[in-house]
Amino acid sequence: MSVSDEERLARLALSQIFEPGDHRIAGLVSALGGIKVLEMLRTGDHNLPRTDVAARLARVDPARQLEIGMRRGMRYVVQGDPEWPSQLDPLDHVAPLYERTGCPPGLWVRGPLTLDTLSNSVAIVGSRASTTYGDEMASRIAADVGRAGYTVVSGAAYGIDAAAHRGAIDAGTPTVAVLACGADRIYPSSHVRLFDILASEGAIVSELAPGLAPMRLRFLSRNRLIAGAALGTVIVEAGKRSGARNTANWTGRLSRPLMGVPGPVTSAASEGVHQMLRSGEAVLVTSGAEVLEMIGSAGEHLTYEELEPALPRDQLTLREQQILDAVPVGSGAPVDSIALTAGISMITVQGALDVLRARGLVTLSGDGWRLTPAALHATSRSSS
Amino acid sequence: MPVAMAHCVALSGAVGHLVDVQADVSPGQVGITLVGRVDPSLHEGRERVRMAIVNSELTWAATTKRVTVLLSPADLPKSGAHFDLAIAAAILAATGEVDPRSLQGTAFIGELALDGGLRSVAGVLPMVLAASKRGVRQVFVPEPQAREASMVPGVTVVGLRSLNQVVAALTGDEMPEAPEVPPLSAGRYLAWRGAARLDDVDMADLIGLDEIKYAVEVAAAGGHHLLIDGPKGCGKTSIAERIPTILPDLTGNESIELTAIRSLAGVLDPALGMATRPPFSAPHHDASKASVVGGGSGRVRPGELSLAHGGVLFLDEFPLFRTDVVEALREPLENGDITVARGEEAITLPARSMVVLAANPCACGNNVGQGRASCTCTQVQIRDYKKRLTGPIADRIDITRHLNPVSFTRDRLGRQENSATIRTRVAAARLRQAERYAEHDWRLNAHVPSAALRELWPMQPAAQAIVDAEIGGGRLTRRGAVKVHRLAWTLADLTGAEVPGESEARTALDLRLGHPLPSATVLMGRVG
Repeated sequence: MSVSDEERLARLALSQIFEPGDHRIAGLVSALGGIKVLEMLRTGDHNLPRTDVAARLARVDPARQLEIGMRRGMRYVVQGDPEWPSQLDPLDHVAPLYERTGCPPGLWVRGPLTLDTLSNSVAIVGSRASTTYGDEMASRIAADVGRAGYTVVSGAAYGIDAAAHRGAIDAGTPTVAVLACGADRIYPSSHVRLFDILASEGAIVSELAPGLAPMRLRFLSRNRLIAGAALGTVIVEAGKRSGARNTANWTGRLSRPLMGVPGPVTSAASEGVHQMLRSGEAVLVTSGAEVLEMIGSAGEHLTYEELEPALPRDQLTLREQQILDAVPVGSGAPVDSIALTAGISMITVQGALDVLRARGLVTLSGDGWRLTPAALHATSRSSS
Repeated sequence: MPVAMAHCVALSGAVGHLVDVQADVSPGQVGITLVGRVDPSLHEGRERVRMAIVNSELTWAATTKRVTVLLSPADLPKSGAHFDLAIAAAILAATGEVDPRSLQGTAFIGELALDGGLRSVAGVLPMVLAASKRGVRQVFVPEPQAREASMVPGVTVVGLRSLNQVVAALTGDEMPEAPEVPPLSAGRYLAWRGAARLDDVDMADLIGLDEIKYAVEVAAAGGHHLLIDGPKGCGKTSIAERIPTILPDLTGNESIELTAIRSLAGVLDPALGMATRPPFSAPHHDASKASVVGGGSGRVRPGELSLAHGGVLFLDEFPLFRTDVVEALREPLENGDITVARGEEAITLPARSMVVLAANPCACGNNVGQGRASCTCTQVQIRDYKKRLTGPIADRIDITRHLNPVSFTRDRLGRQENSATIRTRVAAARLRQAERYAEHDWRLNAHVPSAALRELWPMQPAAQAIVDAEIGGGRLTRRGAVKVHRLAWTLADLTGAEVPGESEARTALDLRLGHPLPSATVLMGRVG
């Protein structure tokens, strides 16, 4: 199914008339199509406050906008295009947050990566005021999920966002940035090289028209796209008031897995994450493998708890362990004294000592039984 | 003329003192006496000098007369075989083999062999330096050490092979043939052997590692000591051996001191001229106390600690170092010099270096989270290993960093700055310190005494309050708080802030306590 030019331009016009995520038209475009909704606006067949849209409606020129965008190396992708990331569609049915919700009418894209790669993607976001620990974890998890075939989605901001992109790029795996300004802009401006690489190898995505500036509320709409594009969201570091909380909320509303990487409890940069973990909102993850386990289908990407290497002691019965504990380290002891210390009958002790000797844990010399050096090593860890 | 005088130099550590060697040849009980606080090695010189003169077919006065040799000033302890040549010259002048006036203004340095040949001695450079300061204009040294002696400006250096050549040089006779003198051989066993590689390494070789690179820059800027812990293979050594590349050139004094120390240790390569670049010393953890801090039997040899003067002393696997070595580090870490007591004399050598300690998380090095590798240590072993990182030495460390295995392979977004770029910032920060401390004895923040720091260079009150809160909370000792204060100044010097404020205090605390740092501080716009 291909999208008609008219539909594409209609959606483009709508994206210019309404602020991104305007809850008043949520679901309308998906249900009726852009042409129909635009027609309703023009004919006045709607319940929206008329003055809100009139000014912009008069001025939109979607054909010209499309041409400007294309000249700046961008394309406008809408529902129905082969690369449309359909996991955004459920946003139409999500209750508004700060009066924002809904699937966007279309997305501006700069970069060669097609958005259908987002069907296998993980969002990694967090504080802009991150620490070196958080950066390292974000990069590492991004590289791990990247190597497993997943696209890393983030917001290209300072701190955790940049670290996540950096990790994916280092692993040579796809990564996508979703912006709260026009996709032709470089924001923050010092991330020139990150944007260069994203534009030449990944994708920069925005529902805002080219040239539009980032504004505070636009970040809240943008966050719904990051959460909506990915199968799950990982929060690496977030202070109490971090914007990452907003992305976490969207993830929750979409009923997708929300994951948190813990930090030192003394670190202010991790307070927000710890709150989410404590409230049960987020699941604790410490590695890319654990993220994959959370976002995979049931039984996919299962991780295994690493066990401590088995100690010789672990293979003994409890009674044998009890007797082993009673054998002295230094000078040897006779069977009856070991039996007394262990509180076990001499016959049982005699039998057990033979077993322990066969395992190389005790030795019999002139003055009686004592532990071998191997036994000392074998038992000391469990004494901690 | 029965009395003659030659000059030589006595060494006390790296400091030389001009010594007058007077010889008197007069009737009396036949024999030779050596007086003036001479130690056994010098005393044996009587025999070497006698045989050298006899075997050189020169007149040995003591077969018919009484020879008295006086080394003055008499209260200065003198040791070493390098006095041989001066003693021989004074005796030969006193017996009339050479003109006593020809010895004026000349210092004689060298050990004699029984056949009359000269032997190389350690410490020629500091000796010539001292002689030059006291007005000596000419020195006679064993031939292989002529280049070393020539590093001192304004002194005519005569390099010779034998006593006969010395006599010929003094009398103006034709120079006789003599076998070549072997150069001084000195081994630095159990030590890091990558010195030649130092010129080829650069910080830009290391990918990622943003945080430790930043910490090392701060340490270099203020001369702070650093502890890096991390599992095997995470880059501790790679970082440490690149620290000298971000240090500015040695100051004039440091350069002279270090070159003199190398001369004393017998490891000076005169072809390289005066030391200008900061050294890197990395003794092995099995090294003896003498080889690390200096000492040894007989002549005091400077240890690795002094050979790192003005540069970096790297102690890899610090918890495995011998206890006596660790204990001996206390003094130099605080004072910047090391005193080696031997018998009744105590010799002080300069030892002002940046100390970098490295440690694994445990003896096997695999005790890290996330099950990357399995640790085979017992809890008791882990505890014992970690315990060695606490105590007096750890408290004297300014910066603690935990290093994780490198996660980047190429890191196209990181800007791998080269050492020269970092060095420029370090030099600028050091210049600010030099200006601030122009009227004092110290140059770097790490060396400012705590009283002066509190009195003259306090932080902003809000910054001090942040540090005080940590003391109140028991997370910081008083000594630690002073170190944080010094670090805060270095951070201010790196960013150009007038006085350390809250952000400097917080980052300084993080550096000291081993906490992760704010990325924005570390990256300073260098990524992205």
